This record gives sequence, C-alpha cells and structure tokens, in this order.
Amino acid sequence: MSVLALSVAMPIFVVALSWLFPERELWAHFSTVLLPNLISATAVLLTGVGLGVTLLGTILAYLVVMVEFPGRRWLEWALFLPFAIPAYVLAFVYLGVFDYSGYVQVWMREVLGLPGFDIRTRSWAVILTFVLVFYPYVYMMVRASFKRQKINIIEASQLLGASPLRVFFNISLPMARPAVAAGLLVTLMETLADFGVVSLFNFDTFTTAIYSAWGDFRSIEVAAQLASLLVLAAFFLIYFEKKARGQAKYYSTDVSNKKPYHALGIVGWLISLFVFGVFMLSFAMPMLQLIIWGWTSISEEWSAKYVDLIVSTSVLTVSAALITISIATILALPSCCKKNNLWLKGVISMATLGYALPGSIMAVGLLYGINQISAISVYFGAQSINHIIFGSIALLLFAYVSRFMAIGYSSIKASAEQIKPMFTQSAHLLGASRLRLIWQVYLPMMMPGILAGSLLIAVDVMKELPATYLLRPFGWDTLAVQVYELSAEGLFERAAVPALIMVLFGAVLMLIFQLLDKKSSKNL
Amino acid sequence: MLLVNHLSIVYQTTQVLNKFDLSLATGDIFALTGDSGSGKSSALRFIAGLDEVQSGQVVLDGNQLSNNGVHNIAPELRKIGMVFQDYALFPHMNVKKNIAFGIHHLSNSEQQARVEELLLMIGLEGIEQKYPHQLSGGEQQRIALARALAPSPKLLLLDEPFSSLDKNHQEQLVLQVRDILKKTNVTSILVTHDKHEATIFADKVGVIENKQLTIN
Repeated sequence: MSVLALSVAMPIFVVALSWLFPERELWAHFSTVLLPNLISATAVLLTGVGLGVTLLGTILAYLVVMVEFPGRRWLEWALFLPFAIPAYVLAFVYLGVFDYSGYVQVWMREVLGLPGFDIRTRSWAVILTFVLVFYPYVYMMVRASFKRQKINIIEASQLLGASPLRVFFNISLPMARPAVAAGLLVTLMETLADFGVVSLFNFDTFTTAIYSAWGDFRSIEVAAQLASLLVLAAFFLIYFEKKARGQAKYYSTDVSNKKPYHALGIVGWLISLFVFGVFMLSFAMPMLQLIIWGWTSISEEWSAKYVDLIVSTSVLTVSAALITISIATILALPSCCKKNNLWLKGVISMATLGYALPGSIMAVGLLYGINQISAISVYFGAQSINHIIFGSIALLLFAYVSRFMAIGYSSIKASAEQIKPMFTQSAHLLGASRLRLIWQVYLPMMMPGILAGSLLIAVDVMKELPATYLLRPFGWDTLAVQVYELSAEGLFERAAVPALIMVLFGAVLMLIFQLLDKKSSKNL
Repeated sequence: MLLVNHLSIVYQTTQVLNKFDLSLATGDIFALTGDSGSGKSSALRFIAGLDEVQSGQVVLDGNQLSNNGVHNIAPELRKIGMVFQDYALFPHMNVKKNIAFGIHHLSNSEQQARVEELLLMIGLEGIEQKYPHQLSGGEQQRIALARALAPSPKLLLLDEPFSSLDKNHQEQLVLQVRDILKKTNVTSILVTHDKHEATIFADKVGVIENKQLTIN
C-alpha cells in the first residue's frame, strides 16, 4: 500500500527536489517583485470562492434533501449538471456575454445609456465564475451526507423546540461538516490549480506565475519551486480540515427519503425560484449560448476528425477513472477499520496532494523524473527508457492518476468513515476472512463514495487540459485540446462545437451516476 | 390533560387502527402495547406531530394540536418530549450540550443548573463532557430521557426505549424511569411490545388488538 501511495506521489517529490537546484537571481526577482501581489490575489480568490461554494453548495444540498418544494425532484438532479461544463468554457461564455463587447453591455450602453466596463478588472467576476462552476463539488458531497443523517435526530431536535434554522445550524450542518470540508478542499485545490479561467480573466495567481516562470523564463526549477509552495498550501488545507474535526464522531448509515420540512405556498415557490435561478445561471444559460454559437458554426467546424476526438477522449477518461478509483479504494481501506498508522497516513496525504498541482507542472514533474531515472539507468550501463515512456499513454494516465487521486480518495474515505466499527467486529465474529470482510462488507458500504468518486474523476479527466496537451501521444487529441486550440485563437463560436460535445458527455456521465446512486441508496 | 379522539391509521390499503380514543390526566403514565405493525408507533408519531394520518384529533391542555389527521401546530411548538428507540442523541454534541439543547433560551447558569439537576436525577453526575459514543446503552437511554425532560414537556412519549437494553438491567431501569416520571409529574405514553414491561411501568395499559384499543 505504501509503495502504491509513494508511486502516485512521485511527481510531488520531483517538484520538492527542485529546491536542490536554486536559480538565485530569477527566484529573487519572483519573490520580491511578484510574490507579494500573487499571494494577496490568490488569498482573495480562495476566500471568495471558498465562501461562495460553501454557502451555495450547502444551502442547495440542504434544500433538496430536507425540504419538499415544487420541482425538487428534477432540480436535485439538474444541480449536478454544471459539473459537465469545464471552468474555461464557462469563463469564455461569460466573457462573450458580459464583457464590454458582449450582448449585455451593448444593450446597457445602447438602450440604457450606461457606461461600459471591463469585467476582467473586477475580482468578483472571476470569483463568481469559479463559484458557479465548482459549487457542485460541495453540493454533491454535502447532499450525500445530509441523506445519511438519521431522520429521528432531526425529529428529536424539532420536538425539543428547535426552529428549522436552528436545526440547520446546530444539527444538520455540524454533522455534515466532514463533507463540507471535503467539498471545500476539492474546490480550493481546483481553484489553486486552475489556469484556464484566471488567464482568460487576466487575473494573476500562483498558477499564472508558474506558467510565466516556465514559459517566459524557461526555468523549470523556479516553476517547480513555486509549485511546491502550492503543495505546501494544499498540505495546510488538509491539515486544518483534520484538526477542525475534533473528537466528535460522524458516522451513520441511514438513508432516508422522508423530508422533515414541507415548504408550502409562496415559501415553496420562492425556494424553487432560487434553486432554479442557480441552475439557469450555472448551466441553462451558458448552454443556450453554446448551442447558439455551435448552431452557427457547426457546418464549418464538424468533420470526421471528431470521431477520433470522441474515441480518444472516451478511452482516456474511462481508463484513468478505473485506475484512479481502484488505487483510491485500496488506499481508503484502512479508514474502514479506523486504523491509525501514522506512516501510512503521511504517504497517503502526499499521494493526494497532486490535486493542487497545475496539470502542466504535474506533466513536467513526470517528464523530469523519468528523464532522471533514464540518466541513472544509462549511467549503470542499461538502456534509456525515455523512448518507451515519453509520448506513451501510460505516462499520461500516470499524470491523471497523480492529479486526481485526491478526488477519488476523499470521496471514498467519506463513505468509509461512516462504516461503524460494529460492522467490522460482527463480520469478524461471524468468521469472515479479511478478504470477505472487504468484499462483502466494506466495498458495498463504500459504493456510494466509489461511484461518486469515479464520476468526479471521469468528468475531470475529460475536461483536463494542460497535462493532456503536454503529454498526449501523437494522434491522441482530445475534445479539451480542441476547445483550447480554438478558443485560444478567439474562435469562440467554433470552440462551442467541441465544448458542447464535452458537456453532452458530462451530462451522460451524470445521468449514469444518478441511476447508480438511486440503486445503491435503495440497497442500503 | 391529553385527549386523542377517533385516530384511524391506514397503511397503503390496510386499516391497522380504527377510531382510537384515549384520555389521560396530568401525571398519568400510560403504556401502549400490540404486535408489530399494529400502528402503536404511528399513533405516537401522530401525537408528536411528526406524521399525518387518515383521521384523528389531539388536544393537549385545551389546545387542539391536530384535527382530521392534519397538524395545526408544528412539532417544535407542541411542548411534547420524545425518547426514540435508538435515543437519537446528537453524535457531535457532548452530554451537556445534548441535554441543554431544548433549553437554550435560558441563561448559561440556568442551563448548567438544569443539566446538573437532571444528571443527578438520572444518577449520571460528572459525565457532562462525554460524547454519546463514549456511553453505554443504558447511559445513552437515560441521557435521552434527561434531554427530553429538560424543557419540562407537558407530555412525554417513549418509543420502545428499553428494547435494546439487556434483560438484567431492563427491569431496574424501567422502574427507575417510572420513578423519575412520577417525581416530575409529567404525563407519559410508553410504546412497547413487552407486556411485562408495560405492566410494571404504567398506571394504565392499553392493548391494540384487531384494530381496536382496549384499556386494562
């Protein structure tokens, strides 16, 4: 298990080793001129996005699980859909619609006579984009947690005179805290590692500085050193999340479909309007814009190469999701039996830090690492492995596994932690071997987490851009690469075609997930 | 005083309870027994305001809480306490916070005094800081009772709270709880499938048989 975790963590070690090769002048330039601003801008971004996704994701999850209101059934499902839209696609759609030359500002200037403005200079615009694209992480994890809260605990607090608001703040929310923290952690790491959105909005963060160190100054060492600061930030986030949990226990295996609250009349319709508004802003309106753009450019853009793009995207997505989730499941097994092995905890934490690494740094870390291994093997008289590994699917899959391990692991671990020790003990007493315990007790009970994790990984792999762009084997272009190449040239209308196919793919994955989720809820 | 009139319960298409009537004076301890699926827990949940039923009226101290199977007053405003079968203690709160949950409108010192008074009454002084998972089944059961009694409810409902305890301690605990309820003079309804438990606990025992309630 340790070997598995350490292998996954390899690119992170390589990044950490970069401190052995300091480039003093360049580092001095970065640390005095750029770093202070970057740190404050990144802090503003993380605070805004963190607050936004926590509020939005948690409130939405609470409403769909605990309150009956008009349209709840389909909205509960529809709120997952923004997952299918890559952040950079939402960013270019919002820019196209809301920026100076977009419909909204043109209308405001021509009809209302208001002055125009550049939304790229406002940090709320980039924060809002991130919140709308990342809130489903918190929503998905917190929803699963609320569903597992025992209905009689909520009924007990009602009978003790607690108002719905007090039940939310004192009972439901504290009990869902691990899930809120897990969702927030994933969101903050995604935000730290994002390049597409921040570069489209001209918002300088750590990631843009890393690209600058590497792209403009050609220094992989400084890029890696900056990236290692990101790893450090991710490490602190994970540490604080653990520290915040304290002594309390959170496990429960109940799944209830009974709603403790029924919002009747105008209140019910106001809740529907709010939830529907979020769905419109985060999915329906951007989709409509993409469809309009795609419709006008489909005849120009569509060709036989799209069949290849779809096939290679599917193969990479499915293989990466399967490999990552299998490893994540193995790594999460000790959480089921509440084992406390410090060494294992340490290496697993390392293995899940890759999420905060920008995809390109992950790629460069891997290439750099493989190159060093080759150099050592040549030194000892063996052959270089570069020609076998560079440009192979294996290397790209390795990058995906390292990069997305945290999503699979945290999702499965949340399920594993809800397995009560008595299940392990009773299985042992009934004579179950360790293998049977894993196969018949742990795995079925971890299944909601495994399914949720697989889905998240698949959607993320499909959307992943920088590592795919750098490491893809010849002839393995993906839909994400196609979107990037077209939108980088400002061909938004044509970029809408591959973007729409990706969103469709994502929506299908969501649908499969929903069906599996319903089935596993029934079985519990 | 509690009045329950014409309570009828239908599960899907099968009628399980027909025109259930009950009248309890303040301080009465009543036990309701019957086979599984006889509707005794559903009757309790209807009185608590948690579930609606086909027909029935609940009047507590002159206030009509439910009528025609529909609730006029939400569970949180009924002043009814309940001890659940698995106790439903809040897992993320320690004993003190669990007991004080229903009396948060009191000052800190008043809350502290009430928690200490209740812990003394149930014989569990000094465990305020423990979490539910650190307690035995019997201790959890008594904490759940203390929590339900803390806001001084007008009516206490107990849904099979002794069923998961071991037989040796069960009878002793049943008598202890009865003593506590008598001291606090709270009107109580216990739902249980155990006739012996019902007899030693309650002043009056009702049995649901053939959809009808018979009171002994």
